[in-house]
Amino acid sequence: MYDLKIVVESIEGFCDLPMEIGDYFIVSGGKIEIPDGKHICLWALQSLMPVLPAKQRELNEENDWIPHTKRFRCPDPNGGVVFRIDRLDPKTGKALKEEMEIPPRIQVNPDACTGCRACETVCAFVHTQSFNAERSRIKIAKNEIKGEDIPYICRQCGDAPCIKACPVEALRRSPKTNAVLVDEDKCIGCNKCAEACPFDAISFDGNNVALICDLCDGEVECVQRCPTDALKFDNKGGREK
Amino acid sequence: MNYGYCNKALRIDLSNNLIKKEKLDEEFLKKYLGGRGLNVRRLYDEVPPEVDPLSEENKMFIGVGPLTGTLFPGAARVNFTAKSPQTKILGDSNTGGFLGPEIKFAGFDQIIIEGKADQLSYIYIKDGEAEIKSAQHLKQLDTFETQKKIKEELGDNRIQTAVIGPAAENGVKYSGIFCNMVRAAARTGMGLVLASKNIKAIVVRGTTDLGASKPDKFKQLIDKMDEEIKNHSEYEIRTRLGTTQLISSLNELGCLATRHFQTGYFEDADKVSGEYFEENYKQKEKGCFACTIPCSRYFEITKGKYKGLKSEGPEFEGLAGFSSRVGVSDIEDALYGVDLCNRYGLDVITTSECISFTMELYEKGILTSEEIDGLKPEFGNSEVVFNLIEKIKNREGFGDILADGVVTAAEKIGRGTKKLAMHVKGLEIFQADPRGIKGYGLGVAVATRGGDHLRSEPWFEFSEDAEEGKRRFGHPESAFRLEYKGKGRVVKYYEERCVLADCLEACKNTVVNMEIISFKEAAELLNTLTEYRFTPEEIKKSAERIMNVERAYIVREGIRRKDDTLPDRFLNEPLPEECGVSAGSVVELEPMLDEYYKAREWEVNTGLPTESKLSELSLDKIMLDLKKREII
Repeated sequence: MYDLKIVVESIEGFCDLPMEIGDYFIVSGGKIEIPDGKHICLWALQSLMPVLPAKQRELNEENDWIPHTKRFRCPDPNGGVVFRIDRLDPKTGKALKEEMEIPPRIQVNPDACTGCRACETVCAFVHTQSFNAERSRIKIAKNEIKGEDIPYICRQCGDAPCIKACPVEALRRSPKTNAVLVDEDKCIGCNKCAEACPFDAISFDGNNVALICDLCDGEVECVQRCPTDALKFDNKGGREK
Repeated sequence: MNYGYCNKALRIDLSNNLIKKEKLDEEFLKKYLGGRGLNVRRLYDEVPPEVDPLSEENKMFIGVGPLTGTLFPGAARVNFTAKSPQTKILGDSNTGGFLGPEIKFAGFDQIIIEGKADQLSYIYIKDGEAEIKSAQHLKQLDTFETQKKIKEELGDNRIQTAVIGPAAENGVKYSGIFCNMVRAAARTGMGLVLASKNIKAIVVRGTTDLGASKPDKFKQLIDKMDEEIKNHSEYEIRTRLGTTQLISSLNELGCLATRHFQTGYFEDADKVSGEYFEENYKQKEKGCFACTIPCSRYFEITKGKYKGLKSEGPEFEGLAGFSSRVGVSDIEDALYGVDLCNRYGLDVITTSECISFTMELYEKGILTSEEIDGLKPEFGNSEVVFNLIEKIKNREGFGDILADGVVTAAEKIGRGTKKLAMHVKGLEIFQADPRGIKGYGLGVAVATRGGDHLRSEPWFEFSEDAEEGKRRFGHPESAFRLEYKGKGRVVKYYEERCVLADCLEACKNTVVNMEIISFKEAAELLNTLTEYRFTPEEIKKSAERIMNVERAYIVREGIRRKDDTLPDRFLNEPLPEECGVSAGSVVELEPMLDEYYKAREWEVNTGLPTESKLSELSLDKIMLDLKKREII
């Protein structure tokens, strides 16, 4: 079990209580300790409450977001006080550095896609030295009459269902980019990953090996070649259409 | 793996149901580069002057280039070449979109279609194989429906199609071939050639590999070009407006084709301009295959009587053709006119000429309403425009007279109207007034496929850089659009750049107008892409060779200097006062022609290519053929 220190990190609105930057309280075992002369906002505490017991515990679930969740915002729209939860090192009592870097992923905006398929061509070429789009890990689905151009590409889901669905453990994460990597020797072309993919982003090449975006080991060629902002490589932004 | 070239042509003999593959050897590919070059040489050899363009003996050549299907930005194009039923000379038209790359991935540099199918059919080519399928169920379907039906029936959305519309099936001389909805190889009646062979569509799917002989170096060159394009001064306007930017810019210069070239200034240009279109109708940018400078647009009309009209485009030629040229001030009417032409499969330039020609004759009292099926074709009357498009498509009533093009229409009407037919060698001219852009005027006059600007695009005359003019073309005047000196050399130079673009099968926006690649860079590209070795001089020579083959082809069909001319109006009627700086201008064609033939080292009096020039370009077989026919 960890003890926790909850610190006011920033205030986006105006808190009339007031809570001030640097204010904190400690969760130690089963009790809350507030420094003398200080207070804690009831509404903020209420929003923090459910996660505190979870943050105290070691969690070993792969891809679980709770160990990496650090910030909570008070629910008062006028206040906007941001609290950071630090786990404390049981030996030193100091805050553990466990900030997770959110890896960038490819984000898609079909409304800006020109349908040119430059992304397909460059993807195929850098991976296979062939311009043949059948070998590309990104595919543009077009409806010319309706003017629709929709890029299909892996979004590197946090809790990737493709990895779980693979019966032969051919998929793993790149330690460098967090991209889902395919072991071509192991892949049996069973289509299970493609069925599990919520973005229809997985296709198969001529040798029946899964084609999944590997983020070009960080140098995303398709994004660089995209003439509009239909493709972006970023760690911000929501789930698109 | 193929590298740049597939070294293979597909020959389809429809009359005998024979499909065979032919090897293309290194020498032929190096001499003719690709696309247009391969096609015109074959046309010269295989379609002699005795052939009637609508007979089984005419052939259609479909060519792609070494860059087609690669990373090169905008190397999406494909040429359709045959003897033209519209002009009876060189028929050649090219389009972008996605068909070209698909042909390459199907394993061919060229497709040759000869003979005639016994019923309406389409050709389905997939990964090196081809079959002929019935198209009876597609009869009279418009181009959009045809493309949609074929994709549905073959169950593959990534199929690419080249189709003809009802206009071609009904025998309209200026019907084109359409890909990706609106991408048209529209000029010189190539759609009618397919129709005459009973071919409704060519359908292609290709999944074979295509690589580069030196992949890393090729990629480096492409990255450099992408960078150059992005930093080019025209990048922003070309991606925003594409060719529609020309409506306002040409109007400002006083040379926008207005009311059948009676003036170069359209008072309502700002209501039909690219800028107006962008603000009110554009949804997003669209691009051809692998293009990093997307110049096309998808649009929708969301209210009013055309609510729900959505499509890609338009390009300048269509938009101006159905606005300023016919005097229509409502952009939505113009968009509808363009949409009709796209669906019926008509060339927008020729169609707008035929209609605006009729309007001028009516305005001048040469034609009466009774002769035009009771219509009153006043300039600006869009209902009449739509009505005439319909009649042309169906070849009914007055539309039957217009359906053979403006020259035949003028011949049928008589009464001296031939003087008002805006064409060169039977091909109607574009939406800019040559009196304000004299280099273009010369280019249109000498173009090997007849009155067309895309054979030269001598944009340099807009540069106003006198020093560069002197350095590059021997005359400071060559850099100014209203001057005529030096234009012979300018046109020769840009004709060869256009050949380069049409042979590599890359877009003229980048290769010609933006001059993104030099002949040296073209050689570097081909040396890292293909397995052959090219020098810049060889490529330049090939471009000149191809120009000479085309000239020899049309000369063999009877073309001489007297045919390298412009409509009377451009030579003798000065542009009116409202045309601003261009007012008072006419085209001084004869001195430009002299200079052009000299630059080409052709006979100045006749415009015939010389024996020595043909020999120098290793065209001895053609030289001997012309001698045997007593032409040279």
